[in-house]
Amino acid sequence: MSELDSRANGRHAALVIGAGIAGIQAALDIADAGFKVYLVEKSPSIGGRMSQLDKTFPTLDCSSCILTPKMADVPRNPNITLLTCTQVKNVEGQAGDFHVTLEREPRYVDEKLCTGCGLCTDACPVSVPNLFNAGLDSHKAIYRVFPQAVPPAFVIEKKPSPCKITCPAHIPVQGYVALIAQGKFREAYQRVLDAGVPFVGTLGRVCYHPCETECKRADWDEAVSICALKRFAYDAGTLHAPPKPAPVHYAERVAVIGAGPAGLTAAYNLTLRGYKVTVFDALPAPGGMLAAGIPEYRLPRDVLKDEIETITALGVELKMNTPIGRDGGPSLEDLRRDYQAVFMAIGAHGSSRLDVPNEDVQGVFQAVPFLRHLNMGHEAKIGKRVAVIGGGNSAIDAARCALRLGSEVQLVYRRSRVEMPAAAWEVASAEEEGVKLTFLSAPTKVIEKDRRVIGIECIRMELGEPDSSGRRRPVPIPGSEYILDVDTVIAAIGQNVESAGLGVETKRDRVIVDPLTLETSVKGVFAGGDAVIGPGSVVEAIGAGIQAAESIHRYLRGMDLREGRTKDTPKAKDIEVVPTSPVKRAPRERMQELSIAERLNGFIEVELGLTQEQAIAEAQRCLACAVCSECNQCVTACLRGAIIHDDKPKRMDVDVDAILVATGFDVFDPHRKPELGYGKYPQVITSLEFERLASASGPTAGKISLNGHPPKKITFIQCVGSRDRSLNLPNCSRVCCMAVAKQAHLAHDRLPDAEITVFYMDVRAFGKGFEEFYDRVREEGVIYRRGNPSEIIRRGDKVVVRAEDTLIGEQVEVESDLVVLAVGMSPRADASNVSETLNLVRGADGFFAEAHPKLRTVESNVPGIFLAGCSQGPKDIPDTVAHAKAAASAAMILLNRN
Amino acid sequence: MLQIESRTFAKERGLFACVQCGKCTGGCPMAMKTKLNPRAIIYRVLIAGNGFNLEGRDELWDCTTCSTCYSRCPKQVNPMEAIVAMRSAIVEKGKIHPNVKTALESTFRNGNPLKLPREDRGLWAKDLQVKAFAETGAEYLFYVGCTPSYDPHGQKVARALVSLLQSAGVDFGILGNDENCCSSEVRRLGEVGLFEAMVEENAEMFKELNVQKMFTVSPHCFNVFKNDYHTIEAGATFGAQVQHYTQMLADLLKDGRLKFNGSFAKKVTYHDPCYLGKHNGIFDEPREVLTGIPGVELIEMDRSREKSLCCEGGGGRMWVEGTNPGTRLAQLRVKEALETGAEVLATACPFCLLTLDEAVKHLNAEEKIRVLDVAEIAAQAL
Repeated sequence: MSELDSRANGRHAALVIGAGIAGIQAALDIADAGFKVYLVEKSPSIGGRMSQLDKTFPTLDCSSCILTPKMADVPRNPNITLLTCTQVKNVEGQAGDFHVTLEREPRYVDEKLCTGCGLCTDACPVSVPNLFNAGLDSHKAIYRVFPQAVPPAFVIEKKPSPCKITCPAHIPVQGYVALIAQGKFREAYQRVLDAGVPFVGTLGRVCYHPCETECKRADWDEAVSICALKRFAYDAGTLHAPPKPAPVHYAERVAVIGAGPAGLTAAYNLTLRGYKVTVFDALPAPGGMLAAGIPEYRLPRDVLKDEIETITALGVELKMNTPIGRDGGPSLEDLRRDYQAVFMAIGAHGSSRLDVPNEDVQGVFQAVPFLRHLNMGHEAKIGKRVAVIGGGNSAIDAARCALRLGSEVQLVYRRSRVEMPAAAWEVASAEEEGVKLTFLSAPTKVIEKDRRVIGIECIRMELGEPDSSGRRRPVPIPGSEYILDVDTVIAAIGQNVESAGLGVETKRDRVIVDPLTLETSVKGVFAGGDAVIGPGSVVEAIGAGIQAAESIHRYLRGMDLREGRTKDTPKAKDIEVVPTSPVKRAPRERMQELSIAERLNGFIEVELGLTQEQAIAEAQRCLACAVCSECNQCVTACLRGAIIHDDKPKRMDVDVDAILVATGFDVFDPHRKPELGYGKYPQVITSLEFERLASASGPTAGKISLNGHPPKKITFIQCVGSRDRSLNLPNCSRVCCMAVAKQAHLAHDRLPDAEITVFYMDVRAFGKGFEEFYDRVREEGVIYRRGNPSEIIRRGDKVVVRAEDTLIGEQVEVESDLVVLAVGMSPRADASNVSETLNLVRGADGFFAEAHPKLRTVESNVPGIFLAGCSQGPKDIPDTVAHAKAAASAAMILLNRN
Repeated sequence: MLQIESRTFAKERGLFACVQCGKCTGGCPMAMKTKLNPRAIIYRVLIAGNGFNLEGRDELWDCTTCSTCYSRCPKQVNPMEAIVAMRSAIVEKGKIHPNVKTALESTFRNGNPLKLPREDRGLWAKDLQVKAFAETGAEYLFYVGCTPSYDPHGQKVARALVSLLQSAGVDFGILGNDENCCSSEVRRLGEVGLFEAMVEENAEMFKELNVQKMFTVSPHCFNVFKNDYHTIEAGATFGAQVQHYTQMLADLLKDGRLKFNGSFAKKVTYHDPCYLGKHNGIFDEPREVLTGIPGVELIEMDRSREKSLCCEGGGGRMWVEGTNPGTRLAQLRVKEALETGAEVLATACPFCLLTLDEAVKHLNAEEKIRVLDVAEIAAQAL
């Protein structure tokens, strides 16, 4: 890779892993000596823990003030290549000759273009706890870790989105949901359009919403009502004003066969990309199954018309009443001659026959032509007593339509309810409206008189072994025939693709395609939707349309059709969601529906949509588990075009002579000491939280307060998560005694009237100026009591620290407004990964082990790999810097020798 | 003189690891009201040279063996077990309180510390259709325990449990009059010899009857079977898998075998028994059962789970008053329960039931709050 040229143009190089104060110091020293340094940092900014601290002990100088100049030196140093959001994946070779593979996580913001202006953050609708401020406040999904961050570029936090992954069209669900939650309805509608989906109001009504099945909110109460929100985005967000025609950029023309959801979606996307597209369809009106198959009570025609007008207004040309390859229409070859690419999305409009005697007599209909006839505005002549045969969505649609035409309707299905392919809520509505369901029955003969239906003979079935579809196969029970007294039969037992004569390879009736690119057996001809998968759903067809548009664009531009299209996204089921704040249980908002009487009186839409208040409340139920919702508000806000939502991880290889490990430490999580009530009592905080509270750049601008009130009694507890065998953290954390002394001093300094108590086991003031500082703090009036508090309980609005004061040998209770837990320094949670990648040995305390405890404290067990700072064990800042400088010096011996 | 060899004593019990931080005493419920100071006792043993005199250390009998000290100790020292061991030294010299002596003798003679006849042990189940384990065998042995066998409230719990398990289709049987005290309290009172004899007797019987799986009403019985039997030579033959009944019910609920057709529409707070919670980490299962009952609104006391306040019923304290009988922790506990506004104080231990019941009466709070076992509540919702 050019920006990381191997061996830095022949110079000797070092890799420094971790850019806290240790890593920064070591990198600067090595670079100043004239060697090349790759400084790799996992997080988006350098600075490490020291950037979170307020004052430093015992001299009380400001942590940021002494750190920031060093941070600023890093990007200025020509010998240092800084790689943030980057981790070491693999190391091979030996001292003097290491080959290192790095992986850079996407920042989703171009570091070079971002000026750090912050317009994106203002526009972002998603907030998450700010871990830099120890969770005391929040930041947006697009954020900068802290104002002095190096590099200053913003970063987007993204996690896998179960709804988006599950959606066959990969619509960024959380994006439009977040926008609805903010009352930005027009933007919400636009967001769905921008995802390449022109059918917002349509999908919001008829989608089978597999996204809701995977919504993680259901782990707490119920899934977010995503489909209803999409409908709301259309109902409240569309202007009903057709867009201006899209400019044509390319000379190539594209033909689309079929004006259904797949064909029109492809046409929409290709037109927006700058192609001239013509859509051919055999039917007189566009929409495919949306227009011909789905009844009006589910999808009002003005919604469909409006959405198709949006597509045609862009410049998509429709040629209706034009079948391809039959009935005198042009052939596929004709199209291939006149157009440079063809997308075949002819749907599945054919019908499977019942295969029973007398099925051609008057009064026997096929569901698809029956619905088409009705939906195209013609009168349908059916009888008073109708039997619908089948259990899919078309069967339910036909049954509910027949009901609305005034007939009595009986649905006959050969398996049982659980095997019905129709959506459960559709079946429930049909039943509510009066459709009678007969399960485990199949027709054997149509009974006729004078070539008219007068009944249908059925046979009872039972369920046998599962068949290839995994459902149990129905088996007839001999002799169980019976007769249903009906005058109309509507068969809805299957749809097929009318693919004969098109000239592409098919399997049975379905068009064979490459599942990734949708290429057919004929060059330049692509296919998708029901024509490929058989009768499916609208959203699958839309997904295929988007996929086809991408393929056709790549094909016409001579690009690789496959590159970057296989996504290794996790399965929605495997995604674990840990909410950032407690989830308040709230049931989902439900749409009003028409009464049964109103429904049956014509074809008016049954569901009435969410009200504005309902929609906002429902949208706020979203856990925002993907953090960034991909609402694209940042893209609109950014004046520099720096946002890259589809940024990908990058692998890089570097060759170095030496490696320095400066990966630092984690702070102990006091949830593991439940008796101290951390996380339960807001008055109990960690020492890191106290640093942020005390810091002038922190969430309270340096005011030590809790819910706006300055605490009158503050208690510090030492040795939380250190010197503790029961937690397997046996070591002394070394800095907490002095950190507590410093914090007690700060508390006294800011709140001179506060009563400050420190509970300690021993006070270890061993460093230069430490004992003197400890003396000073006691003389300021801070009370030191010997004893390790046993528990914290609540009393009114205060908490009570219960302990034994071991010097008087009595149990004591200290009422407190604020309790600060001096949490220990623990090994990094991912230390085992680092240790595996680099072959490093860890000590009993979990930190990386030095080669010799006295004489070689910066060398690791691997020659050429050095340890710097707290990765080797807890240290204060002066010791960390000294250790880092020693490690740098040891590495330079190697760099110089090679 | 009641001298122990303190250096050996300290070494065998890991007391030299103690850093005198006082975390044990700071949380000790008895240190709130008596002279008991686990840290100071350890300190005295550590500095005693080679002989520590137990004479006059009456506070050793204050310990309820709640295990707060051990569960909090950062150095994994177990002051509670040290205290039990000191009791053993006293018992060995025969210098014990008459009440303790009576309880131990009754355990030896009647198989229970309550001075009640052995032949009445199975009476509680006389009118119930419960399998006799010894005759028919069963998947589970229902080990009832002394208090649930004889005490009226305890019997109600045992009967409730029978109806719950029967409705869930669990195959279990009881030992009736052949059941013997588990000897948990004998061990806490320091009578090592009797404890070993009882363990041997019980372990032999269970082996003969081929007991593979068993469950108990009392967390004390559960604990001794689970944690103590197999650690001593006398219990080497004991190999059954032991569960507390709340674990069984929680599993049955999860599997859908236990179903509630009724409801229990009350505000309930739950008191964690020490031998279930602090000793064995079973905090969630009783709560899963309670929240699985339709109508139950579970409210937590501030001191819950790891911070649950001991009711003073354990560690042999049913038979020894201790040095400050005036203030009862159970009364403090009932006050805490009342503060939550709960109508029912639920627990899952026969000792807790007794002490809390008595405290409610003492506080004249019978109108405001009832003490019920989790099993009783669950059975009411069947």
